[in-house]
Amino acid sequence: MKLRITPVLIGLLTWLVAIPARADLDIVATVPTLAAIAREVGQSHVKVRALSLHTQDPHSVDAKPSLVLLLNKADLLLSVGLQLEAGWLPTLQRGARNAKIGVGGRGHLDCSTLVTLREKPVSVDRSKGDVHPGGNPHYLFDPRQLAHVAIGAAARMVELDPANSTSYNAGLARFLKGLHKTRKRLARKMKAQRGAKIIAYHKSWAYLTHWLGLKEIAFLEPKPGIPPNPGHIARVLVAARAHKVKIVIQEGFYPSATGKLIANKAGASLVVLPGGVDFRRGQKVTQYFDKLVSAIFTGLSG
Amino acid sequence: MPVSAAGRVPWPAIQVCVVVTALSMTATAEPRPEPGPPPVKAESPARAESPDELSPQELAEIQAAVGADAAAAKEEPPPNTPAKTTSAASSLAAFLPDIALIGDLVLAYFSDEEALSADGHDPSRTGFNLQQLELSFSKSVDPYFRLDANLVVSEHGVELEEAYATTLALPASLQARAGLLLTRFGRINSMHLHARTFIEQPFMFAKVFGGEGNRNLGAELSWLAPLDWYVELVGSTTSAHGEETARSFLGESEKTVRSPLDFQNTLAIKQFFALSDNWSLMWGMSAATGPNPNSDSARSDVFGTDLYLKYRPITRASYTTVALQAEWLYRRRETDPGKLLDTGGYAHLLWRFAKRWSAAARYEYGSPSWDGAASIATDPLDPEQTSARHRGALCFAFRPTEFSRLRLQGTGDFPGWQPEPNWAVLLGLEVVAGSHGAHKF
Repeated sequence: MKLRITPVLIGLLTWLVAIPARADLDIVATVPTLAAIAREVGQSHVKVRALSLHTQDPHSVDAKPSLVLLLNKADLLLSVGLQLEAGWLPTLQRGARNAKIGVGGRGHLDCSTLVTLREKPVSVDRSKGDVHPGGNPHYLFDPRQLAHVAIGAAARMVELDPANSTSYNAGLARFLKGLHKTRKRLARKMKAQRGAKIIAYHKSWAYLTHWLGLKEIAFLEPKPGIPPNPGHIARVLVAARAHKVKIVIQEGFYPSATGKLIANKAGASLVVLPGGVDFRRGQKVTQYFDKLVSAIFTGLSG
Repeated sequence: MPVSAAGRVPWPAIQVCVVVTALSMTATAEPRPEPGPPPVKAESPARAESPDELSPQELAEIQAAVGADAAAAKEEPPPNTPAKTTSAASSLAAFLPDIALIGDLVLAYFSDEEALSADGHDPSRTGFNLQQLELSFSKSVDPYFRLDANLVVSEHGVELEEAYATTLALPASLQARAGLLLTRFGRINSMHLHARTFIEQPFMFAKVFGGEGNRNLGAELSWLAPLDWYVELVGSTTSAHGEETARSFLGESEKTVRSPLDFQNTLAIKQFFALSDNWSLMWGMSAATGPNPNSDSARSDVFGTDLYLKYRPITRASYTTVALQAEWLYRRRETDPGKLLDTGGYAHLLWRFAKRWSAAARYEYGSPSWDGAASIATDPLDPEQTSARHRGALCFAFRPTEFSRLRLQGTGDFPGWQPEPNWAVLLGLEVVAGSHGAHKF
């Protein structure tokens, strides 16, 4: 009998040992770029999930109850803030029944508090379209702002899980180093393109253009959140020709027909850019910026 | 994380470097609510677990790199850096509730002068109808509660639609609400007018609970089960009185409360299945029980099930949404001559085919009441409804933004007890001003 039990016990022990250790910190990020930062800083000590995909418009994500489950167990919630997620995150936070990541909890980090904001409107009124009173929320397209976000997120990770502080600090250092190298290299690559004029679909690129020295001369949306209309597009086309614009840029989740039309008529090319890091497939932040800037570079040099 | 045994890393140097860097960032990254990563003591046992081998040269590189990052962000200060809130007025404003104002106006045509209006906020006559003007307030009270209130102004006057406190910090995945609240029986009952697809509301809810939907003073406790899929259990106890809110229960009767069984007790289970990135399914089952005024011990029970199947592609650029929503109710009442049973429900299909445009079709059914012997009986609440009612509607919606909506709806109502069907054409305008409410799924 003992002989029969032993293999079972060994099997059980092997199974118990093989159970992966529970991550020390359960992190949920609203958008995939924030999730990628957390994963690169936290490495094996964290379990990171994103509430949206890089192919989704972060303004309008469905508050699916399955996302509530992720927040229910989370130790840390990273959000973009500035009301980017106003249409869906509050529902999820309330439904999560987790005071840690609720409004005012130390487990909720609004990353917009970490960065230098741009385009903060002087006066706010919805007649101007879907404006964000706190400033433009698309700061994750600028690696310099990303460095601030990573530092702030790492600090919060250390605060919530001090036992692994050395690891988080080392992860942060490694992340910042890689990001810096990539940023410098890409800025060198784009040096000749500084001052180039571009057209964008939505006001998503204020931080990217500031970093690379590009000039947005017009937007396909007449006002933020308002889809293009023929009268406005005619004016944009005139401007595109007058300024000899070489590229029209937009995120992949916007329809591309209008962008293609403008690009064709103005002799420019349409550059469709990923809205964030492809977190699900394990893309790294630096790989993402490589891809993003290379696409712009190719468009401008073509 | 690989563990280094070589230990040639001057690990404290990394920490000092990171801390210095973080501190140097504070100049640009404003406002910063907390300091950078706190220094870890040099004698920290983590030394033995140093994650990676970094040479002093690399450390110097990191320091230079991060310093340069900070300098780069400083190079050209953006034109609009966030203003610091210093004035007492603006800090006080932060404590004021979020307020939204939502108006619903309908221009209606009815083929029959006496439209069979069911819901209290349905347009009821040919001409202009104010469905309602809703004023909603919400804010955290303290770390433990949040307060939500909705005042509704309609042609009948001003009423308090909902006002309840929600707990924020109960343990064990519990959440409680108390106050005047819409019960979470089924799917549509707890949705406000502006979250609903059609201008007219499904008549079964008005028939069973009343024109204002099933809402009353009471308390609710809900629990999120610790399972791999979403399972929420909701139990509530609310007053069983109210002609327009609990008509199958005590309704307008003035029967007094003597025991917990004199309240309306509601139990619901809600499950969500993320079938794929693009497909979602929500399924609920609900039951409500309470006294009715027919005798001291007479009870009414309502059972319901609701289904919401949604297709919305999120892995590619698309505005398409297709959603099927259906609810079915079954009601059982003990009355003077005997049992009364009836059933009914609705199903609608919504198709959003462009960013701003959508179309929806709905079918509704309501049975007459049967007695225990399955023959049609006179229902004291709706004595004229001696046969089935069918209603169909088509609705086109144009949404300029998520804050406004124009709808054109056509309705054909076939009450079996009336010789002629009733037709209606409704043109509705809905506008939302104020705080950006978050949408439920």
